[in-house]
Amino acid sequence: MLHVPIDVFFALVVIVSIISGFLGALVGLGGGTFLVPLYTLFLGIPIAYATGASLISTIATSSGSASAYVKDRITNVRIGMGLEIATTTGSIVGSLTAAFVYAHHLEYIIYIVFGVVLLSQIYFQMERSRFELPKPIKPDWTTRVFQLHGEYYDEALKQEVKYYGVRWWLGETIMFFAGFISGLLGIGSGALKVLGMDWAMNLPMKVSTTTSNFMIGVTAATGSAIYWAFGLIQPILAGFTALGVLLGSMTASKILPKITNRSIRYIFTAILAFLGVEMVLRGVGIIH
Amino acid sequence: MPRNISFEDIIGWTLRVGVLISAVFIIFGIGLIYVHRGAGIYTFKDLVAANSPVNTSILPVSYINSRTVMGLNGLAYVLIGLIILMATPVVRVAIGIAQFAHERNWLYTFITAVVFINLMLAIFVIPALVVK
Repeated sequence: MLHVPIDVFFALVVIVSIISGFLGALVGLGGGTFLVPLYTLFLGIPIAYATGASLISTIATSSGSASAYVKDRITNVRIGMGLEIATTTGSIVGSLTAAFVYAHHLEYIIYIVFGVVLLSQIYFQMERSRFELPKPIKPDWTTRVFQLHGEYYDEALKQEVKYYGVRWWLGETIMFFAGFISGLLGIGSGALKVLGMDWAMNLPMKVSTTTSNFMIGVTAATGSAIYWAFGLIQPILAGFTALGVLLGSMTASKILPKITNRSIRYIFTAILAFLGVEMVLRGVGIIH
Repeated sequence: MPRNISFEDIIGWTLRVGVLISAVFIIFGIGLIYVHRGAGIYTFKDLVAANSPVNTSILPVSYINSRTVMGLNGLAYVLIGLIILMATPVVRVAIGIAQFAHERNWLYTFITAVVFINLMLAIFVIPALVVK
């Protein structure tokens, strides 16, 4: 437990939420990835409240940035809606699992799973976006039935990009797990959503990331309704976390174009690794 | 509907306005709590502390009523802000149903309706079933 006056605690929570939103937006993971470990490891906030606040903040950042992306017409609303069947179902199962875990005081499970998810991000951070556009794969029956196609104007490539997706069922399967993790850990699980669209469905990176961001808000709204019912949301904490993360991510989006070099990515990955290891150690009871 | 306004614009606009309105309520509510050093029967410390006993399981939607709103109870304003924030994606999905129906795309009208049903399950049905 942190022993500081309540006003200092209040200020620390605001600062940590802004920093989390900033870091999350810079690496494209959303605020929750940094927020939950920082809240639980350094501010003594119970993990149930930390994940509840994180889930609420995820809705704010997704809605805030999705509105800009939808205007750009890169987001594929149809593919996004189709995949939300799986993310919302996964989120319901994941949030009910989280409620069960907290009711039975099995918090260590959340710490360990969270730590493992953080550590797995290191791989994605190192591997991602080597190709801007995917190599075309032969369309399958799902391409036609589920109308998995679209086009957008790519500013960087200065050309109109036409694309189509494949393996809708594989995308849906991964989206169920993305929804489950989102509900269980109170994060957006954008990396898993991008994996579902980019790797499984062979969609262009820009379409995957913007559509993923668009979907995160609906997934998080599903989970947060269940979190609300189970009392996993501490309203004041959730309120200023949402504001702080929103402010941090908006600041990051302004300076993002200026700092995309690799060395900065390595620093963030090191922070992810440190937080991931700490969460696992806390989960197995080595540190308290 | 005028032809020059697309569903994409309506969705983008809804999301942005939803977040803005909810932020205004949350900021106003937290400001009130800070100024009053609490809200209703709860002290500032009760509301802000890491292990605060004040969570959503003891705050029914009826906490937001004319007495708390007119009485400038900060907690009620924060709750309104949070509910608006959570409702924003729900409204977005509802607009999606209208969009696909307008395009006569019946497969996606159905798919989006299922997403909407999932949301309604999570918001109304599951809480009623599992929480007494």
